[in-house]
Amino acid sequence: MSEGIGLKNTGHGPGTDAYLGMVDSVTRTPDEIKRSRNLGIAYLIGAVITVAVFVQGTGGTATFNLDNDASFGIGAIPLAWICAVSLAVLGGVQISRGTANFQSALLGVAAVLFIFTLMAWAAAGQSFSLTGTLHDALKASTPLVFGALGGILCERSGIINIAIEGFLLAGAFTSAVVGSVTNLWIGMIAAMIVSSLLALLLAWLAIRFLVDQVIVGFAINFFVLGLTSFVDARVLTSNPEYNGVPTLAEWKIPLLSDIPIIGPVLFEQTIYVYLGLALVALVTWALFSTKWGLQTRAVGEHPKAAGTLGVNVLRRRYVNLAVAGAITGFGGSWWTADVGRFNENITNGRGFIALAVVLVGRHHPVGALCAALLFGFSDALALKFSFLSTSIPSEFLELAPFLVTLIVVASVGRGHRVPAALGQPYEQQ
Amino acid sequence: MKKSSKVLAVGMVAALGLAACGSDDDGGDETETTEAAGEETESTEAMEEETESTEAMEDEGEEAATTEAAEGDESGETASGDICEVTDVGGVDDKGFNQIAFEGAQQAAADLGVEAKVLESASDADYATNIQSFIEQDCALIVTVGFLLGDATAEAATNNPDQQFAIIDFGYEEPLDNVLTLNFSMAEPSFVAGYLAAGMTETGTVATYGGINIPPVTVFMDGFVKGVEYYNTEKGTDVTALGWDGSDGTFAGNFENLDDGKNIASSFADEGADVIFPVAGPVGLGSSAYAAENEGIRIIGVDSDLVESNSSESQVYLTSVLKKIDEAVIAAANQVIGEGTPGGEYLGTLENEGTGLAPYHEQEGDVPDELKTEVEDLIAALIAGDVTVDG
Repeated sequence: MSEGIGLKNTGHGPGTDAYLGMVDSVTRTPDEIKRSRNLGIAYLIGAVITVAVFVQGTGGTATFNLDNDASFGIGAIPLAWICAVSLAVLGGVQISRGTANFQSALLGVAAVLFIFTLMAWAAAGQSFSLTGTLHDALKASTPLVFGALGGILCERSGIINIAIEGFLLAGAFTSAVVGSVTNLWIGMIAAMIVSSLLALLLAWLAIRFLVDQVIVGFAINFFVLGLTSFVDARVLTSNPEYNGVPTLAEWKIPLLSDIPIIGPVLFEQTIYVYLGLALVALVTWALFSTKWGLQTRAVGEHPKAAGTLGVNVLRRRYVNLAVAGAITGFGGSWWTADVGRFNENITNGRGFIALAVVLVGRHHPVGALCAALLFGFSDALALKFSFLSTSIPSEFLELAPFLVTLIVVASVGRGHRVPAALGQPYEQQ
Repeated sequence: MKKSSKVLAVGMVAALGLAACGSDDDGGDETETTEAAGEETESTEAMEEETESTEAMEDEGEEAATTEAAEGDESGETASGDICEVTDVGGVDDKGFNQIAFEGAQQAAADLGVEAKVLESASDADYATNIQSFIEQDCALIVTVGFLLGDATAEAATNNPDQQFAIIDFGYEEPLDNVLTLNFSMAEPSFVAGYLAAGMTETGTVATYGGINIPPVTVFMDGFVKGVEYYNTEKGTDVTALGWDGSDGTFAGNFENLDDGKNIASSFADEGADVIFPVAGPVGLGSSAYAAENEGIRIIGVDSDLVESNSSESQVYLTSVLKKIDEAVIAAANQVIGEGTPGGEYLGTLENEGTGLAPYHEQEGDVPDELKTEVEDLIAALIAGDVTVDG
């Protein structure tokens, strides 16, 4: 097989092009100037919200508990003023002359400051566990990471994957049933196989019969939801012996888990968290540093060129979808390992959040990890807020993680280029 | 002229009522397909209650349309025959209220020397059919289980005034003469559970959460938190109750997803809670899973004795707040078949043992004798009215 030299020149994937464009800040395009100004306006809105809401809070010291009975307190009102002034100044600078190469770093600092102000406002005069929140955030993001990695592999290969939800649900169901009859580990493998087969079904219908990939994806979602719900109601409810697996306990990594703060957050988790993080690194390396990755991205960007240079486009797509299905299916078994059984629609739309995570993460594994963590953090924080006596209604807290996702998709998703051949059928000569 | 316009108005109201019933049936069918499977009974039960008031209003309309049929009711008459149960879509072996109700029916049948029969409903469409097929048989009392059967029961009852019915978890705005409604007062046993939890906590923090923020759920949470407060006033302690502040609190947002229950329990434990009372049906099983993995967390079950229905994690349960549907069915059978009094309203309370607390089972040894006595005294005081939930 000939390794096309032309292909190598494409270098980084579609997702990284956007980042590279921003490096050169001397000659800014009108689009960049506009985006820079929008960011400044966002800072100013943040400053207004801070003054209107957080400064008006009940006040008092907000106590954040860490592990080992350690804790630190912050005065809610002073922090709110600091945040408001910082955001106002930052917004002014951003609008007037831009923040050049520091733009991303400053955005990160501002976001952290704003979140701390929000937390201090909610916990004024009260306390909650910060390490616990971070631990739960990482945990909640884990199934999203697996779902998003599966989604990235599909879409990088040029196949739209709306069916992440279906793959996750199939994985959860299969691991629960097979795990009950055998054990959880075999259940995990079975989940990978079943979701892999579903992914191949998606590939087959999309590639062989050129069916609209979005429609196939939706069909798979509904098929899996209907089938698993039916079997759950008709078989599992009356035969609980097929729906009960011992849960997977957290595995404290020796030494590492003794590190203050980081230990209990990062290293007292189940193997799903460790494997998820490892897989993010592995997929990143494979996509951007191996021959397979280069071919995969070529197949998603310009299948005709890849085909001309000797890449078997269709086989590459079939194989990648099978792998993506296996990864997503493994992610589905997270639910079984977590609670030890299946119930109707246990994934509860997390597959669709994973789809958003793929977009927010710009089809890059590391970006997806960050987006998944953002969702997990909103989820964990909303739960903590419901314990505290805040004026936020519980119904709003329940939808807060989804709202955050929506806002981020709307703001980050713009300007992101998806793989060029995404969703387009390819006919091999 | 005036009279005729009145008649017209009544006619239109009746037509609207019928139309409402018709469209409601359609709506029901749709719910059925989306919900088709889980059918974890506690969950449907709670959600059923949510829409109770609106449904009851529709029933009113229906009644207006069929008053004439109802007039032929000969209430004093006692039927002789069997106790017949129509389940909702959960089926009779659901480990939930369909099953408990049937156990009650079997017990009552044995006591009265009759037979207990059951028909399972596979879908909403089966309710009316199943009820009708029991009407054609020799049934002294037809027990319909749960809110989903509210409309079908009302319709069958108005069309068959001689047939006696009992329905669980449903209240009609205008009571039907031949339908006995079976409901439960859950604030008091939850209050006792709160007192017990406050007495058992070692960290000084206990917690509760619900499935969805609706009154049939929050009545448990409210009772629980008030029980903790009562303990604090009695003992001069400062036990904190997380998850409900009297008007809002922590909710899973559903009655199905166990992972939500596990996350909530884990998050509560971070804040130091060591006794957790989930009022969220199967979601609570997720909290039990958390407690099974982590030492020192106790769970209080809800509706049925979870030590029996979730025996694989029986060690985590301190007790359960019981809604004794079987007792209610027995009481209904005794009233309708034994005494020959049709209709009315049964309310399960601590006093008639329609509600209560389950035994401590495996945690029997953990609960101090003194606290056990106090709990018993508190139940007695609640029954006597010396102590009330609202202080």
